[in-house]
Amino acid sequence: MRRMRARGFGVAAVAVLLLIGTTACGADSGDGGDVTITFAWWGSDGRANLTKQAVELFQKKNPTIKVQTSFSAYAAYWEKLATQTAGGKPPDVMNVDTRYLAEYGGRNVLADLNQGAGKAVSLADVNPELAATGVYQGKRYAVPWAQNTPAMLYDPAAFTAAGADPAKGLTWDQYADATAKVSAASGFAARGATDFGILDTPLEIWLRQQGKQFYTTDGKLGFSADDLRRYWQLASRFRDTKGASPADVTASYNTSPEQSPLGKKLTSSEFAYDNLLPAYRKANGKNLNVAPYPTGANGDLGQYRRPSMFLAVSARSQQQEAAAKLVDFFVNDAEAGKILGTDRGLAPNLKIRAQLSAGATGDDKTLYAYEAALEPKLGAAPPVPPKGAGAIQKLLQRTYEEIAFGRMGIDDAVTRFMSEADKSLA
Amino acid sequence: MTTLRTPAPPRPAEPRAPRRGYRRKSQPEAFGFLTPWLLGAVALTVGPMVVSLYLAFTDYDMFTTPHWVGFGNFTHMFTDDDRYLRSVEVTLIYVLVSVPVKLAVSLGVALLLNTRRGTNGFYRAAFYAPSLLGASVAAALVWRALFTGGGPVNEVLAGFGWHTPSWVDDPNFSLASIVLLGVWQFGAPMVIFLAGLKQVPAELHEAAAIDGAGAFRRFRHITLPLLSPVIFFNLVMEAIHAFQAFTPAFVIGGGRGGPADADLFYTLYLFEVGFQDFRMGYASAMAWVLLVVIAIVTAIVFRTAKLWVFYEDRP
Repeated sequence: MRRMRARGFGVAAVAVLLLIGTTACGADSGDGGDVTITFAWWGSDGRANLTKQAVELFQKKNPTIKVQTSFSAYAAYWEKLATQTAGGKPPDVMNVDTRYLAEYGGRNVLADLNQGAGKAVSLADVNPELAATGVYQGKRYAVPWAQNTPAMLYDPAAFTAAGADPAKGLTWDQYADATAKVSAASGFAARGATDFGILDTPLEIWLRQQGKQFYTTDGKLGFSADDLRRYWQLASRFRDTKGASPADVTASYNTSPEQSPLGKKLTSSEFAYDNLLPAYRKANGKNLNVAPYPTGANGDLGQYRRPSMFLAVSARSQQQEAAAKLVDFFVNDAEAGKILGTDRGLAPNLKIRAQLSAGATGDDKTLYAYEAALEPKLGAAPPVPPKGAGAIQKLLQRTYEEIAFGRMGIDDAVTRFMSEADKSLA
Repeated sequence: MTTLRTPAPPRPAEPRAPRRGYRRKSQPEAFGFLTPWLLGAVALTVGPMVVSLYLAFTDYDMFTTPHWVGFGNFTHMFTDDDRYLRSVEVTLIYVLVSVPVKLAVSLGVALLLNTRRGTNGFYRAAFYAPSLLGASVAAALVWRALFTGGGPVNEVLAGFGWHTPSWVDDPNFSLASIVLLGVWQFGAPMVIFLAGLKQVPAELHEAAAIDGAGAFRRFRHITLPLLSPVIFFNLVMEAIHAFQAFTPAFVIGGGRGGPADADLFYTLYLFEVGFQDFRMGYASAMAWVLLVVIAIVTAIVFRTAKLWVFYEDRP
């Protein structure tokens, strides 16, 4: 009887092995000298169309390389990438954000582009400061795909009526007064500003204006509890005068322009990035414009050449050369640069940028002019954010919401933020 | 519903020996036929569960080799993680509110549909329809649109002079909107209640009515006791579902636990820890705690069953 049972398991085990064997064979498919690489990025449908056009051009120029593409929205992209990476199959070429560069680079998921096949990616025509933003702990884990600048997007009509011109540059005090007036003029239906207490980028710029930074080079918070208290006091001032959005509108904030308070016409200004102007304009319907951040007493803008996003190659990729070729194509091919336009920001390659800038029209022209005017005032880029930085934005958002909804005082919220941030970055 | 009236009456005694022999002989072939299922169960369920039990005692981060940390994850959960406790609180509120309300609503609707025989086919289907959408993303998106600022719910309430903020974006209302979504999908327990109600013998009601019992007393003393096995079944199923609720909270809460963590469901926090913060070891530990808690709660419900569940065929 015992033996019978054992044989039963034997039959099952053999069946399992057979099935596993067949699936393993199924995965293997090589045809000739052609190589296939996978490429993933985040973005909307519009961006996907542009990117796919560029990929087709790449395939035409490199007939032996086939590129399999996939894209998702920002949050979903990171969930998918984490799962694929854990499964040992990250895409050969991937889109990376500065918030996650250390997370992936520091864990050896990304190839060092200063070594081996990665050397094929030329950065000769990229501003060295911008190029350096992809270097973490001495290794070039990524190259910038585009450059953008944190900016204020606003409705000029509403602000002109309130007697302010953000394009000429406002102080934080002037901005606070103007937003209160804009709110009052609309009968408080559309507020002057989207409450920025929940956002990490305005906090970063505000800190830089005072000569401080968000993260230190050794991966800790670069600001003190007192700095954060003052930042939230500033935001609360906007809320108290009803210049900023009410708490429930603030809580509905979402990084996509269509679903943000400004995109939904619930506010008349919002801190975002200059390259998002067309998307915001389309969502809001009004003739929005782009302006630099308000400044403090010293007039320092606090802005820098920000890598809007990066391209990176998987360290586990079997096709490093083809992958590096695709990255180089996106950065240095003039035709690709023309197709991609300003959707992600300005082209990283300065020669291509100059060509495109000369022929720009409409929103693109606004953008090039804005960035050109800003260029001399840009400061040094901050160090790459440490591991755990991805969680900090969400932490900032939910602790400030406690304040906005009146569930917590500023001091308590600051204490909570500092203690949770320390755990996240540990 | 007869299956719920178990145990079945004892079978006539069979000669035992031949049966056992037959059973044993069939084993090798049985395993052959079971292979597809066995493969799925082992490769897709048991295997990953064993691995996750191991990972629960490590600091696995999805990219690098896991290190053994003993009970570190478990002690961290209960001593050093405020958001974990918050997620437990949100989930318990959801279970304790949504399950009784959902059972009451589904029983109420089942009673209404049970009164007029023959005409209720359409209504039965109509009331069941929301449950077909199940825990779908689409239903949750519609819900978000309904309860958002300036949405239909705001407008209707404003018509009655009650001005509310955007329900889904206000920490005081957000969880309530998710509870309502859960309750709205009452179709599955309703259909089971309806089937149970059809089993209540009409003669008992007639006899009680002749003795002068009103509708409420008949419900309280005839329907309810005879229905108690069905209530028991629905209670267990709904409680387990409620503990595992994820999609509505994910969609309505914007994928981040809602405003000021008002919708930070246990499963949502688990997801965030594992797939966004890359603390997969900790997430595995959380999953095992949830499994154990659900098992304990189910066991407690089963233990109390003999106090309130009435089986006709038991004295």
